[in-house]
Amino acid sequence: MSIEIRSVSKQFGSFNALREVSLTVPSGELVALLGPSGSGKTTLLRIIAGLESPDRGSILFNGREATDRHVRERQVGFVFQHYALFRHMTVFENVAFGLRVKPRGSRPSKGEIREKVEGLLKLVQLESLAGRYPAQLSGGQRQRVALARALAVEPQVLLLDEPFGALDAKVRLELRRWLRRLHDEIHVTSVFVTHDQEEALEVADRVVVMNEGRIEQQGTPEEVYDRPSNPFVYNFLGNVNLFHGRVHAGAARIGEISIDLPEYRATENSPAVAYVRPYDIEISRIRQNPEEIEAEVRHIQGAGAVARLELERLDTSEPVEAELTRERHRELGLRQGEKVFIRPRNLRVFVEDYQI
Amino acid sequence: MKRHSVLPGFGPTLGYTVFYLSLIVLIPLSALVFKSVGLSWGEFWSTVAAPRVAASYRLTFGAALLAAAINALFGVLTAWVLVRYRFPGKRVIDALVDLPFALPTAVAGITLASVYSGNGWLGRYLEPLGIKVAYTPLGILVAMIFIGLPFVVRTVQPVLEELESELEEAAACLGSNRWQTFRRVLFPTLLPPLLTGFALAFARAVGEYGSIIFIAGNMPMVSEITPLLIITNLEQYDYAGATAIASVMLGVSFILILAVNLLQRWSRRYAE
Repeated sequence: MSIEIRSVSKQFGSFNALREVSLTVPSGELVALLGPSGSGKTTLLRIIAGLESPDRGSILFNGREATDRHVRERQVGFVFQHYALFRHMTVFENVAFGLRVKPRGSRPSKGEIREKVEGLLKLVQLESLAGRYPAQLSGGQRQRVALARALAVEPQVLLLDEPFGALDAKVRLELRRWLRRLHDEIHVTSVFVTHDQEEALEVADRVVVMNEGRIEQQGTPEEVYDRPSNPFVYNFLGNVNLFHGRVHAGAARIGEISIDLPEYRATENSPAVAYVRPYDIEISRIRQNPEEIEAEVRHIQGAGAVARLELERLDTSEPVEAELTRERHRELGLRQGEKVFIRPRNLRVFVEDYQI
Repeated sequence: MKRHSVLPGFGPTLGYTVFYLSLIVLIPLSALVFKSVGLSWGEFWSTVAAPRVAASYRLTFGAALLAAAINALFGVLTAWVLVRYRFPGKRVIDALVDLPFALPTAVAGITLASVYSGNGWLGRYLEPLGIKVAYTPLGILVAMIFIGLPFVVRTVQPVLEELESELEEAAACLGSNRWQTFRRVLFPTLLPPLLTGFALAFARAVGEYGSIIFIAGNMPMVSEITPLLIITNLEQYDYAGATAIASVMLGVSFILILAVNLLQRWSRRYAE
């Protein structure tokens, strides 16, 4: 089922949780709502579920108006960050709950419920724990029970609110890969909320980056990561270096470096910020071209797939982070305190009318 | 080597608990039993099984169970209103709940008796309807409800406050209506504190003396509670008889409270 959100706004007291948000989730897609806390992502998810009602705007399911439809009738599966399992029920009864509360006419028989629940427990790999109570399970197991419980009613939409937020790092990683596989298997339209960019980029078909109640950018993980449309997205998705400079008559000047920016031909001498990812910084011992910035190596962290270098610009004393491949790191053999020349490969300049 | 528990002080604290309970509870209670041992089995039986005593047992335990049940129902309701809604005067109502704890029981009894008597504030409207409260078993029930009111409210309230709203949201997402959510999700969570409150209210009602004698009328075989019968025996210097009646009361109370506690444990078997 597709979801369409049409200019939805929501206020809590004087706080604007959502401002005129519009978004379309095509049927069968797995979409991540990514943003810092307070960005409105959870509010948006709760509005889709019907747990919260928008002040303005509307929600459409499959093109049909659903704004005033009650949670019970929306056929959404909702998975909460803290599981919200019924602790006085066994795992089996938790999963069976949605089937047992169906109106008599559409309620499956006891045997059908048993079959269905056992199938779901198999899907989430918890068949052997059917008789346990939630208190006897680990966090990861509880979240899988919550997922099975949500899937039991065959929801048209699956909504997950920070589903891995309360789990430790290793379980998180396992569970999010498992969620991706599960989605590939059952193809139910899913929206999940997260503040973890790595999680969003790894799991989702599409990432929607939110900030202060607005959508900053949406697109495939590659799109939002490689071509952030504004400084916020750049900052939020991964490590980034900031270089301050000025833009004047279609060219940016950042330290020794100048870049052509034809779209800013009319701009006169305004401050600008340039963003560079740490792996897009080239390092050499000797100056190879005048457009390089001199820096000193402050710290080297050589363990892992990439070597991380902390540098300090000699002209402004600003810190710069760089990442080198293992080979390049070995080839250079840099030491702490050495003077080097750095050159950003891929620089994105934003004229500073934008406040972060 | 002796294994040490992570929680220190098990020995001293257990020792203190046993000592304290002995001093405060066990020694006085065993003195009670020993006193009645002065009677032979035949005398004991004829004392406790006398029609007047048996009638008082039925009245006391019956009314106490009924009062505790009524308090359970309305206690949950009161706790629900106090936790779930905001309204002016909420703090005042919250404080009112505890008043039966603080009021001297004799004051409560006299007040209830005068309010429910034939020319009292409430009695004058009830009597024409054929409902006599003061000086009847119904009056005993009213007094027992009054003094037991705070227990269920105060045991259920904190649990209700801690209940995550997510549980109800999860149930609603799964298609459950309000009633189903209450019956299948909320009520089972509230059952353990409800049973605790029930046991406390019951125990309090069984032991209540002060407020009841003023409203009961104290007619033998009709509205005479067991504690009053014990006092009557004491006033006649029949210590053995008084302690015999009291021992039975103690035994029955203990068994009933134990049963409720077992039920309470069963109702939270999931937490282990």
